[in-house]
Amino acid sequence: MSSTAQRITIDPVTRLEGHGKIEIFLNESGQVDRAFFQIPELRGFEKFAEGRPAEDMPQITSRICGVCPTAHHMASTKALDAVYKVTPPPAALRIRELFYNVFMVEDHSLHIYFLGGPDFIVGPQAPAGERNILGVIGKVGVEVGQKVVGMRRKLRELLALTGGKAGHPVLGLPGGVAKRISKEDQAQFRAVANEAVDFAKFTLDVFDKLVLKRSDYVELILSDVFTHKTYYMGTVDGSNRINFYDGQLRVVKPDGSEYAKFGAGQYLDYVAEHVEPWSYVKFSYLKPVGWKGFVDGADSGVYSVAPLARLNAADGFATPGAQAAYQQYVETLHGKPVHHTLAFHWARAIELLYAAERMKELADNKELTDPNVRTLPTEVPTEGVGIVEAPRGTLIHHYVTDENGLIRKANMIVATTNNAARIAMSVEKAAKGLVSRDHISDGVLNMVEMAFRAYDPCNGCATHSLPGSMPLQIHVREADGSTAGILRRDLDGSITRQ
Amino acid sequence: MPVTRLLALGNDILADDAFGIRVAGEARRLFGGQMDVVESSEAGMALLDHVQNCDKLIVVDTVVTGQAAPGTITVLRNEEFQTVPGGSPHYVGLFEALQLAGKLGLHVPQEVTIITVEAADTFTVGGPMTAAVEAAMAPVLDMISGQYTQTPLSPPSSQSGGTGD
Repeated sequence: MSSTAQRITIDPVTRLEGHGKIEIFLNESGQVDRAFFQIPELRGFEKFAEGRPAEDMPQITSRICGVCPTAHHMASTKALDAVYKVTPPPAALRIRELFYNVFMVEDHSLHIYFLGGPDFIVGPQAPAGERNILGVIGKVGVEVGQKVVGMRRKLRELLALTGGKAGHPVLGLPGGVAKRISKEDQAQFRAVANEAVDFAKFTLDVFDKLVLKRSDYVELILSDVFTHKTYYMGTVDGSNRINFYDGQLRVVKPDGSEYAKFGAGQYLDYVAEHVEPWSYVKFSYLKPVGWKGFVDGADSGVYSVAPLARLNAADGFATPGAQAAYQQYVETLHGKPVHHTLAFHWARAIELLYAAERMKELADNKELTDPNVRTLPTEVPTEGVGIVEAPRGTLIHHYVTDENGLIRKANMIVATTNNAARIAMSVEKAAKGLVSRDHISDGVLNMVEMAFRAYDPCNGCATHSLPGSMPLQIHVREADGSTAGILRRDLDGSITRQ
Repeated sequence: MPVTRLLALGNDILADDAFGIRVAGEARRLFGGQMDVVESSEAGMALLDHVQNCDKLIVVDTVVTGQAAPGTITVLRNEEFQTVPGGSPHYVGLFEALQLAGKLGLHVPQEVTIITVEAADTFTVGGPMTAAVEAAMAPVLDMISGQYTQTPLSPPSSQSGGTGD
């Protein structure tokens, strides 16, 4: 492909969690022929897991990821419940869900302010030199910055209090958790939960003021170039309301009607992975619908996960503040399902409030401090699937063990894989709508990146090595593969052409 | 008493990405008591916790530039990256964490040194460190020892730098 087309590479994609790059191929006439994203993928995970005790998986899988270790830890722990056929006692379930929602509040806050914030809080058309964390602080003020960082610190203290280490928790065990929550701990959870609810409401106000009051931003959110009509997937409770920790997976069609609802153990009946020769990334799709290529519509198995998708797949939220915000969201964006990729940011802010409100509910729960936090497994281990809603979407862990509990086979489908096809489509559509040989400016390229960044794609399952000191480079190739020119985004944000 | 911290970034089950963690293990053994040694496998804003409340910060990590031979050691000091403004290609990472901490009035180090080693493979789970990266351990420990500790490394101990923790 690259030998016969001109090629533009945006590498690395800025402000992502981990590395990624977008490649744009031009045709002979200088228009975009094809665009896609690439992320590095881990090798050897399955082999590494083989022969290891299944009980080690919550630690191993959380150590793989430098970005959302808690999501891996929890999906893995739930898979172990299934492997050992054991149901944790009520207090353990409360503790797990509480712990998980603390993590969700922390992670969503980070994205809203520091990763996605530069696009909307600072603004998509702002000079490149301002579209970053410091630009966000400049816009919202140092005090708000201190508030965000202070909130984050308190949340991480709670994670450490329960999980031992905020970064790599050692909480989950098959059948329960390793540590109970004392009355004193509960008081701390309550206090921080109250603050988290206020913080989430404050964040929605910031979003309202800086984004929703701006008609140009709302127009951008609603614009066709950032729109795809696909299927959506998310975890729901018995009343079809969003739950991050547990429930059934619900899939809705592009028209919003329910397509399927199933338990974790049935995921292989619905999810399959497509491989393209040009990418290491696998593309998940709905197996019964089939892979029809990078196209939207009801005939294509492409689906999406993460905040936008969750709000589409569910009928609402179980907590009052989030439900009210959800209703405003649906109304403003002209009803469900919301197909506008840039609405991910708003959906994420609403989920932040839900996570905080749910945290408060659980912190107040009487069962929370019950000392019985473990059901000891007695069955012979076999096979199990654990699913959670990671901040970036549905995360699936699936293990098969021998009778001694040693891993025979392990499979993970991470959120970004579930979103990969729609991300590719979003990048291509934005590139086709905005880029051509004569339109390669920093602002235009940032708009393409925005299509990518809205998903909060996580490449942190790969590595967190420093991404090097190279500024952004855009490589334009002639049809014969030779270099036509190099566009370079320098450290001051300016674009120069060599 | 000024605090010197060694912040070792990496992942001990990801081939060459284990470098920082391995260096931390050795540094703790060799220079324990003379500096704070902190390991982290996290990315992004998690680093904010680790860059605060110290006066001198040494960061050790692998780097993938694709422009140097595996094992190549690069040292960056304050003046070489302090001017990195927004629009930096470094997602939310170390530089942003440092800048943000400074902007928010947190206690940030006056002196920051970043020692990076070009990695060959950071994607193979359970993979060993490549020989070239492993060989960079002794000189990196020497650098840390020479500049930040009162414990000169003798040749035998620097040779044993690859034994890990």
